[in-house]
Order: sequence, then C-alpha cells, then structure tokens
Amino acid sequence: MKHSLIFAAALTASSLFGISAQALDAPVTVTWQMWGEPNDAQLWQQLADLVTQQYPDIKVKLQLSGWTDYWTRLPVLAASGQVADIVSMQSMRMPNFYSILDPLDDYVKKSDVKVADFETSIMSGLSQDGKLYALPYDVGPWMVFYNRDKFAAAGLKEPAKDWTFDDFKTTAKALTKDGTYGYGTQAFDFIAGPVALGAEYFNADNEFDLTNAGFVDAFSKYADLTAKDKLSPVFASASDASAASGRFASGNVAMYIDGPWTLITAQANVNFKIGIAPLPRGSGPSRFITAGSGWGISAASQHKDAAFKALQVLTGPKAAEILGAAGRALPARLAQQTYWYDGAAKNVAGTRDTLQYMFAHTTPFRINEKWNQFENLVMQYVPVALTGDSTPEGVLSDIQSQLP
Amino acid sequence: MTLKSKARARRKLALDILNHAALLLVALAFLFPFFWMISNAVRSNAEVMAIPVRLLPEVFEWGNFAAAWTRLPFGRFFLNSAIIAICVTAITVVVSCLSGYAFARLKFRGREMLLLGYIGTLMVPPLMLIIPLFLIVNRLGLVNTFPGVILPVAFGTFGAFLMRQFFLSIPMELEEAARIDGAWRLRILVSIIVPLSMPAIGLLSLFTFMGQWSNFLWPLIVMTGADNATLPVGLTLFQTQQGTQWNYLMAGAALSMLPGIFLAIILQKLIYNSIALNAGMGGR
Amino acid sequence: MLAKHTDLNARSRPRSRRWFRGEGWTALFFLLPGLIGIFLFLVLPILASIALSFTNWQLLGTPRFVGFSNYTRLFTTDPQFWTVMRNTVFFTIEYLILNIALSLGLAVWISSLKIGQRWFRVVFFLPTFTPLIAVAIVWMLIFSSGGLLDSLMAQLSLPFSGVLNNRTLAMQAVIITSLWAGIGYNTVLFNAALDMVPATYLEAARIDGATAWDRFWKIRLPLISPTLFFGTVMTAITSLQVFDQIYVMTKGGPGSSTATLGYAIYQRGFQNFQMGYASAIAWVMFALIMALTALQFWLQRKWVHYDA
Repeated sequence: MKHSLIFAAALTASSLFGISAQALDAPVTVTWQMWGEPNDAQLWQQLADLVTQQYPDIKVKLQLSGWTDYWTRLPVLAASGQVADIVSMQSMRMPNFYSILDPLDDYVKKSDVKVADFETSIMSGLSQDGKLYALPYDVGPWMVFYNRDKFAAAGLKEPAKDWTFDDFKTTAKALTKDGTYGYGTQAFDFIAGPVALGAEYFNADNEFDLTNAGFVDAFSKYADLTAKDKLSPVFASASDASAASGRFASGNVAMYIDGPWTLITAQANVNFKIGIAPLPRGSGPSRFITAGSGWGISAASQHKDAAFKALQVLTGPKAAEILGAAGRALPARLAQQTYWYDGAAKNVAGTRDTLQYMFAHTTPFRINEKWNQFENLVMQYVPVALTGDSTPEGVLSDIQSQLP
Repeated sequence: MTLKSKARARRKLALDILNHAALLLVALAFLFPFFWMISNAVRSNAEVMAIPVRLLPEVFEWGNFAAAWTRLPFGRFFLNSAIIAICVTAITVVVSCLSGYAFARLKFRGREMLLLGYIGTLMVPPLMLIIPLFLIVNRLGLVNTFPGVILPVAFGTFGAFLMRQFFLSIPMELEEAARIDGAWRLRILVSIIVPLSMPAIGLLSLFTFMGQWSNFLWPLIVMTGADNATLPVGLTLFQTQQGTQWNYLMAGAALSMLPGIFLAIILQKLIYNSIALNAGMGGR
Repeated sequence: MLAKHTDLNARSRPRSRRWFRGEGWTALFFLLPGLIGIFLFLVLPILASIALSFTNWQLLGTPRFVGFSNYTRLFTTDPQFWTVMRNTVFFTIEYLILNIALSLGLAVWISSLKIGQRWFRVVFFLPTFTPLIAVAIVWMLIFSSGGLLDSLMAQLSLPFSGVLNNRTLAMQAVIITSLWAGIGYNTVLFNAALDMVPATYLEAARIDGATAWDRFWKIRLPLISPTLFFGTVMTAITSLQVFDQIYVMTKGGPGSSTATLGYAIYQRGFQNFQMGYASAIAWVMFALIMALTALQFWLQRKWVHYDA
C-alpha cells in the first residue's frame, strides 16, 4: 500500500516535470509466491536479497506457504487475479497452471539466459505445447535410497547402475527379516517404477490408458512386492512423503524410492550410511523420469520486466550455488550441480555417478491436466492392491474409470 | 437395626467409591490422546516413526517445544489468531444480540419466514461458500487484511437464533415496566436484557472464539502474507515437500491447544451453566 | 417496506398495544447490521454457488453455462457418487447412534456421582476445545500402520493391524476419532438436562417402588427428550458434513471406503478444479441435510415430550 502510494507519487512527480523516462527506474516491489518450511525461508530470502544487490531498484517480497497449502491457495488466488508476480511451479502441475503464466521464450531470447545451461528434461518439464513457462531451480529423477549398513550386514553387493527388477526383488528379499522390511513402498513408486520398467500409462493421444497390458504387468510387479512377497509394509491412503522416509530413518525399511530433494532431510535424520541407486530396469534399457520446480511470471503481473530481471537472478549461477551447497536443491543448472554433489551429498555414496547416469537416460515425463487427479487417485486406491483386497487390474480400472 | 443400616451404608459407600473409580479410569483412558500428543512432541522425529512404538520416548527432547516456537514466528501467529478470534467474537455477539432481540421481541411482517431463512442457512456446507466468498473479499480489496478474514465469518446466523431462544425465556414483564418509563428499545436491550443473558452470551462467545481459533481453510486462503498466518495454518508449515516433522507438529499443536484447555478449565462453570440453558431451551 | 408491512400488521391486529406501533422500523434498525453482513457474506455466496453448479467452471478460465448436466452426471454416470452417498449415510447413522448413546450414558454416569461431577465434565469436554485438525493428526499417529495400535495388537496377538489400510476398519477408525472429538458437547448438554429433572419426581417414583431402570426410562428420559432431540438434530447436521478427520486420516481411502460427500466436494473442487461439479455435489448434500432434518422433526412427534 505504502509502496504503491510512493510509486504513484513518483509517477505524478515525474510526469509533472516531463521526465517520464525515470518512472521506469522507480523502485519496484516484485512479489514472489513460494512454498517451504520455516528453515527454507532464510534461503529464499537470501535469493531475494541477491536480486536487490544486483538491481537496487527491484525489491523481491516473499510470500511463503506450506507445500500442501501452496496448491490449495494458488488456484483460488489465480481465479481472482491475486497471484504474485513471480509464481513457483512444479513440473507436474504445469498442465493445470500454465494459463496463469506468461511464456518466457521471448524474454529468454532477448536476455543472455542460455537454455543449454539447464538440464534438458526439466526444461521440457516446465514447458507446455512447446513454450517455456518457468525457469527451473532444481531437478531430479526418482531413485532408490538404501541403507548401506544393512547391505553390508547382509553381505550384499551395492546395486549396479543397470540393475534389473529381479535384482531389486532379490535384494529386497535378502533384507526382509526380523520384522524389518527390505523395501518401503510409496504411492509414487507405482508411477516412476513402471516407467523405468518400460511401461506407458498414456496412449498415443496423451490420455490415460492405465489398463494396457504393459502397464498392468509392470504395476503388478511392484504391487506383488508388498501383496505377495511381503517385502514392504502397506502405505496408507493419507500418508505423505514422510511415511517411508520415516521408516527408513528408524531402520525399519532398508530401501525406498524418492527424489534428490529429500536427501538433505534423510541424511539429517539417520545414523547410518545412505547410498543411492537408479530405479531398477526391466528387460529393456534403463529409462527414468525427472521432476523439478521453477519460477514463472504471472500473466497478470504489472511488473513483468522487473519480474524477469529478478527471475534471472533467482535462477542464476549464484543462486544455484547457494541452493546446491545448502542441499536444498540439486541445481537444474548443470555447471552448479557440483556444489550439491560436493556439498550436501558428499557423504552419500555414488551420487554424482548415479545421477549423471540417470540424466543420460531420461525419458520425457508425460503428463496432462488430469495429472494431479491421477496422483491423488493412486494414493487413494493403490493400498487396496497392496493388502490384497483387490487385484492390480481392478485397482487400475477403478482409477481409469474416474479419469473421464 | 442400626447394624443392618450400617452395613447397608457401608455397602453403599463401597459402591460409590467403585463407581467413582470406574469413571476415573474411563476418563484417564479418554485423556490418552493428549498424552500421546505430548509424548510424541518430546521425541526425535525418527523415533515418532520407530517400530515397535514406545509409550515414552527413549530420550526426552523437551527442547522441541522451544524449537517449534522459535522455528516459526509462533508468537506472531498466536497474536494473529487471537486478534481474529476476538474480533469475530465481538462482532458476532453484538450482531447476534441485536438480531436475536428483533426476532424475540419485535413484531414485524415476515418475521417467522426470515427466522426460518436464518436457520436454513445453518445447513449450507461452508466449504462450498469459500470460493464465492473469496471473490467478494477480493472485490472489496480486503485480501491479506484482518477485516478480510474477520468480516466474512462474523455474520453467522446461529448466534441470532441462539440469542432469540434465550431472550424468549426472559419474562416480558421486566421489559414492559421499562417501556412505560419511556426507555428506548436499544437501552432496554443493553441495560436490562443483556445483563440477564450473560450465560447465553458466554456460550456464544466461547464457541465463536474456539471455532475461529481452530479455523483453518479460510485464513489459509485470505491471509497470503507469511507473517499473517494463523496458528493452524502456521502448523502446516511443518508438513513439507520433504516430509513431515511430526515432533514439531505435535509440539506446536499442543501449544496451540493451551488457550482452549485453559478456557475450558477456567470457565467450566460458565460452560456448564450456558449449556444447561441450552438444554432447557433445546425443545422450544 | 418493512414499515408498510408493519402498518398492515397493526391494522389487522387493532388491539395490539400502542408501543408496538412502528416496530418495523425498530426491527430494521436491529436487524440491519446482521442483514448487511448476511447478505454480503452468506446470501451472495449461496446464490453464486447455486449459479456455479450449473456451469463447468474450472477455477481458472471463465465458467460456461451447462444446464443440469452436472446433476445428471452426478446421478447417472459418476462411478463414485453412490459409493460416496452410501459412505456418508453409513457414517452419519453409526456416528449419530453411538454419539447419542455414549454421551447419554456418560451423562447419566456423571450425574450419579457424589463428588467431582464438574471435573469429569471438563475432561470429556476438552476435545471440543481442541482444533479438529490437531485431534485427527494424533489419532492418525495412533492408527497408522506400524503405529501405536499395531504395536499393541501385536503384543496381544490380535489380528487388527493397519486399520487405516483396511477397507472396513478405516471407517471405524474415522468414527472413533469423531466420537472422541464430538461426544463432549452432548455429554455436558444431556448432563445439564438430567440435572434439571426435579428431584421430587424421582423421589416420588422411588417411594412408589420404581426401580432405577424404570425411573430412567419412564421419568428421566421422557423429561429430557426435548434436549435429546436438539442434540440429535445438531449432531446429524454436522456429521453429514464430515471432512477434517477424513482429510487428515484417510484422504477418502483406502479405495473409496471413506470418501464422503464433504470430502468429495473438496476433492472435486479444490484438487481437480471442477468447481461447478463440486457445487452440484454441495447442493445434493444440502438437500440430504434438509431431508434428514425434516425426517427427525417428523419422528419427534413419536418420542419427544414437551409437556413436562
């Protein structure tokens, strides 16, 4: 309020004296809508300050919400044109929200941002219909986190990069004993897992086709690990990402699947050595999907040019270094990933090799505007296949029938 | 005879003690979830998820309370919640007394229909009104302001109905005497009716206050600024993209419950009296 | 306008006392603050929500009028709707019966005590003063797989484990949580009503040789039946809208075993962005609440006694 008053006064004054050109340089406050836990706030603020250091006329004001709430609030704000100038976006939500963002391609062309500096899979993840809508700050594939101490105690070799599903299953079996499990399954395993095995959940028209033989088969393989072989506890329909990581940290499960974004938290919680490995492959070659998040510019923003200047700093090399070194994000900027490998992940075996292997074998992460709905249904319905109350086919056709 | 009656008295006393003890056990069992909340608040996050579960933590981490308090601007959240809850309560009480009085004492055309309309709105699922409400608040330019979060929830119809029911139970004669003196309606309400209605006002205030203290979805959507979050909204900051910090979440939840527990204990007599009134009015 | 009405009113009742003349204006004065607020923040949103239920609004973008198609889709093609409806009715009936029975039982038990009545009332009332979200989170930690209940059951070698993963038991877990959170108010309400039953009635019955059982069923229960009715109606209205517990504990799962109308509204509206469709569900829920309340008012003639 105060700022806009000052701004208005500045505008009037400048037009009075016929020096309207200066109005463009008047201080601008750019709002930035972001998620994060209390600790993150300091990091984000650090990035916001970077912007002001480089552009003293631009002040970035952070609006922080919790991760879940962010997605409750965003559509409501968007529906009434109240979104911030800079909007944070996760690649998997892009199909729902790209309409509230401005395409960045023209801005990028005019600036010295080089698309090739970023990991390609996440650049396409933040694009829609061939247009880029956000610049990424982090990226990561889903991968297997494992308890190295348990592997050693069981006399197991550490996983090879191209290990197969059968290797994974044998390993999980060897680690399941004395009331602890070899593997702790979560909802997203039933998406990333089958893809790595070579299955497709979409048809050629980019629509859900969950009951195709290939997907049912790959899905069943993962479901059977829990339902038939009892190698994993059942996850609950309302469990959040912490269910498996919590059990992993307490030593109750030896392996679980998650992204590099959780590594820093995982490390802080455990008192054993963590290793990471790619997802197991099927009979074909390895292939992985990646996700990540970035920042775009609201289509309703009044300060688009200032916002893009700020955006360049927020996704610039220095910011990537800060986030990488703090372990908050595996930078989407390839050159800065090393800060993450050598900083946050230095005590974790094989992060650099594994991730570089995985980035070399990515497959496009296919999504559409029903993706969010699909993920919620997976969370809600898959447990029924894990307890054996229903067959994998039954569950998949239940989910499919609700994605009209 | 005295022997017999003594024996009977003793038996009765034993039964009484047994009766109290049995209910005491039930009450303790009933309190268990509170214990469980505290017990999880003072252990490490890994231990919350540990199997097998221990009733008491291996290591008591009492620092979690302080940590939860300092990792978030908890004091600020407390203040925000208090401001909102108190303002909503004040507006609700004033408006409900005025409306309730009109329904109870004033004769006007369409009174019964209007009252029925008021009661009918109680059955509208509030979840559904959130989006249109937000659009209105936005049109009024009140997003991320205290009036924006307070006003839309301060005009419930339940209060008017509750106060009407109570006012009906106050003898008309008291008021008519004052009328003859030429006292004005509003003065009657303020100086005669309201002082007699304290139990009902107390009940309304308590429930409005507690309802707002724990309100979640509405403040979440309206208060976009990080510093403007209320307690329940602030608590969810512990549920992150990387997982949930159960111990801090529990510690924060326990802290946020304190005012409620405090009020419940301090005001237990008022609560009982007010609800007793409600019980008496229930059928009317 | 109100004044005109009052004039009509006054004319039709010429013997009304003099100081009631012009009350339409007074009433308007008293009602106005409330009416403005209610119009702005209740009536307008309600109208908007009705209007939305006839559109395909996706939250982003502009709504388009689609007639009754949301409603026809709901009743004919939505594979979930009847499940959701059944779950909601099941929850409401079981919760309502248990809530009334338990709170009445506790109320009678508390009123039989010689000392400490008020402390017991406070204990059972405490959850009412606790944010429901917090309550639900604690119970989720208790019921979650590998949680407290599972550990306990394992030690007792009982077969109830992972209740939140079980299609039958998950709803029971939600009901237990709701009962814990909800019986306090009714307990105090019924306890207060019982206290107001004149001791002389009971004494008279005792002298006539009525057993404690008879005294309860023939005297106390009929005398508190208006309060019982009030409690039942209010509890039914809130239980049909159940949402928070399900949001925290089960997210409608496993499968669709705990998906209720309240959760369906949230899921369709806020997760799938089908605001028009969610509005249609809300109005079906409204109709259900109205119907149930009407049914209760109709039934009350059979069991509620107002003449004591």
